Amino acid sequence: MTGRMASSNAVAVVGYAHSPVCRHAASTLGAVTVETARAAIADAGLTVPDVDGFVTASMFPTAGAHAAVDGISLVSSNWLAAHLGVNPRYAAGFSGFGQLPGSVAMAVNAVASGAADYVLVHRALHNPSGTYHANPMTQAAGDQQWTVPQGYFGPLAMVALPYTEYVERYGATREAMAAVVVEARKNGARIPWSHWHGSPLSVDEYLSEPLLSDPICRLDCDIPVDGVACFVLTSATRARDLPHKPVYVAGYASGSPVRHRLPLHWPLDDIMEVGRETARRLWESAGIGPREIDLPQLYDGFSPFVYFWMESLSLCPPGEAHRMILEGGIDSDRPDAVPVLSGGGALGNGRMHGVPQMLECYLQLSGRAGDRQRPGATIGLACHSSPHFGGAVVYSAEPY
Amino acid sequence: MTSPGRPVPLPDARSQPFWDAAAEHRLVLARCARCEQLCHPPDAACRHCGSTDPDFSYVPVEGGGTIRSWTVIRQSFLQGFDVPFVLVDVELAVQPDLRLIGRLVDGPDAPRSLGAPVRLAFEDVAPGVAVPAFALEAAS
Repeated sequence: MTGRMASSNAVAVVGYAHSPVCRHAASTLGAVTVETARAAIADAGLTVPDVDGFVTASMFPTAGAHAAVDGISLVSSNWLAAHLGVNPRYAAGFSGFGQLPGSVAMAVNAVASGAADYVLVHRALHNPSGTYHANPMTQAAGDQQWTVPQGYFGPLAMVALPYTEYVERYGATREAMAAVVVEARKNGARIPWSHWHGSPLSVDEYLSEPLLSDPICRLDCDIPVDGVACFVLTSATRARDLPHKPVYVAGYASGSPVRHRLPLHWPLDDIMEVGRETARRLWESAGIGPREIDLPQLYDGFSPFVYFWMESLSLCPPGEAHRMILEGGIDSDRPDAVPVLSGGGALGNGRMHGVPQMLECYLQLSGRAGDRQRPGATIGLACHSSPHFGGAVVYSAEPY
Repeated sequence: MTSPGRPVPLPDARSQPFWDAAAEHRLVLARCARCEQLCHPPDAACRHCGSTDPDFSYVPVEGGGTIRSWTVIRQSFLQGFDVPFVLVDVELAVQPDLRLIGRLVDGPDAPRSLGAPVRLAFEDVAPGVAVPAFALEAAS
C-alpha cells in the first residue's frame, strides 16, 4: 500500500488502565491483566460484554531459560478473553517486533474493517524470579550455534555493537547518554505508577556506573518488571458517545530488515537504513511529516535507541542526536525542546515495552495527564523497539 | 566441582561441515550453487538469489577482515566465560558485508578501531571443538 492510510483518524483510543509497575507483583500476571482489562473497559464507559476484539503481542522478552506459560509469564489475547468470560469475534496476536505498535495496527484494522467494534489491546510483562537474561545452556543449537559458542548472546551485546559504531563515528560521549537516562528518570519519577516514582537519577550516578557490555551499563537498560497496560479502541463514530475525549490513530508503520544477518546482529547501518524507510512509511500513512509532531515519544528500552529513533525520524540530522541532547534539546521542561521522553519511557517506568510511549500520547492528547499535562500537544508519535525491526504509531488529538 | 565449560555448538546436517573444519582450525563457509555467493549462516533459502535449492557446498575461506564494531563483555549471561573479553564484529574480506562475530584473542587492553584489520584465529573450547575468533593483524 502507498499513500495515506484509508482509516487514518477513523479509529480512536477511548480508555485505558495501567497496573502498578513493580519488580514482582503479589498476584499472577494473568490476574493483574484481568483486573487491568476490567478497569480499562470501565474507564472507556463500556461493559465487558461490549468488547468483542482482543489484540496483544504476548512475547516474553527474555534471553534466559524461563518458561513461557500463558497466564503466568505472558498473557495471550485468547487467555484474557476467556478469563473475562468473552467469546470474542476477533482475537489475535502480533508476532513481529515493535509489539505494541503492531498490536495497535491490528486493532485499528479490526475496527476499520468491522471485524470488531470495541477492541482491547493489552501488553502484560513479567519479571521472572532469578536473573533475567542468564542462560545455563551447555549446547547451542539452531541459529544460536553461530554466535553463542563465541560468547555473543543477549540484548546487551546486541545493542552494544551498534552503539559502539555510533560512538566511534560521531564522537558521542557518556555524558550525552547520561543526559538521556537522567531525562527519562526525571520524568518517570513524576509518574505515580512508575517503578521509579520519586527516584530521579543524577548525571554523576550514571557516570559512576560500571559498564556491563561496553559502552552499555546497567542504567542504559530498562529494569524488568511485572506490569500490565490495557487500551480500548473503537471507531471515531462510536467514540463520540463515550466519556473521554478520543485520541485518533492517524497512521502507523513498521518494518523488518531483509539483509541476512547472524542472530542478534544489528549493525548501525541496518538500523538507520531500514529505520528511515519505516519513518517514510509512517509519514505517508499519517499524511504528515516530522515537523508536525509535537509529542514524539521515543523507545528507550536500551538508551541508544533514543539516538537511533531521533535520527531515523529526522528529528535531527544523522549523527547529531547526542549533541542535541547534550544541549538540552530533549529536556521536557524546556518549552523549546523536543520532549521525546516526557512520559518517562522504559528507562523511567520499567520494562513496559512501548507502553509508556503510547500511554503518554494518549494521556497528553486526551487531556488526562493531570499535573503533567502539557499545553498544546496535538500530534503524538509512539514508537517501539529498534527503528529497523520495530514500529511506530501517530496519534492525533483531533481528526485532520 | 569443576566450573562449567562454555556452551558448545550442536551441529546439524546443514552446519556439520562448518564445525568439522573449525575443529581443524579451518574456516569453511557455505556457498550457494546457484549464485556462488557465500551465505553465513546458511539458511533454508539462499539469501542472495532466493534459491530454495541452494545446494550449499562448503569452501575454504581465508578469514581475514576488518573490525566493524566491538563490545567488551564484563558480565556474561552464559556460563564458562572468563570476563572481561572482547567480541568483534568483522566484515570478512572475501565478500562485501559478510560478517562473523568472534572473540578478539588479544584481550580487552588491545587497541581497537573501526576498520582495523584482523586475521582469523581459533579457540579450542572442548575436546574436538574449536570456534572461530580473531586477532589483530598488527599484534603478531
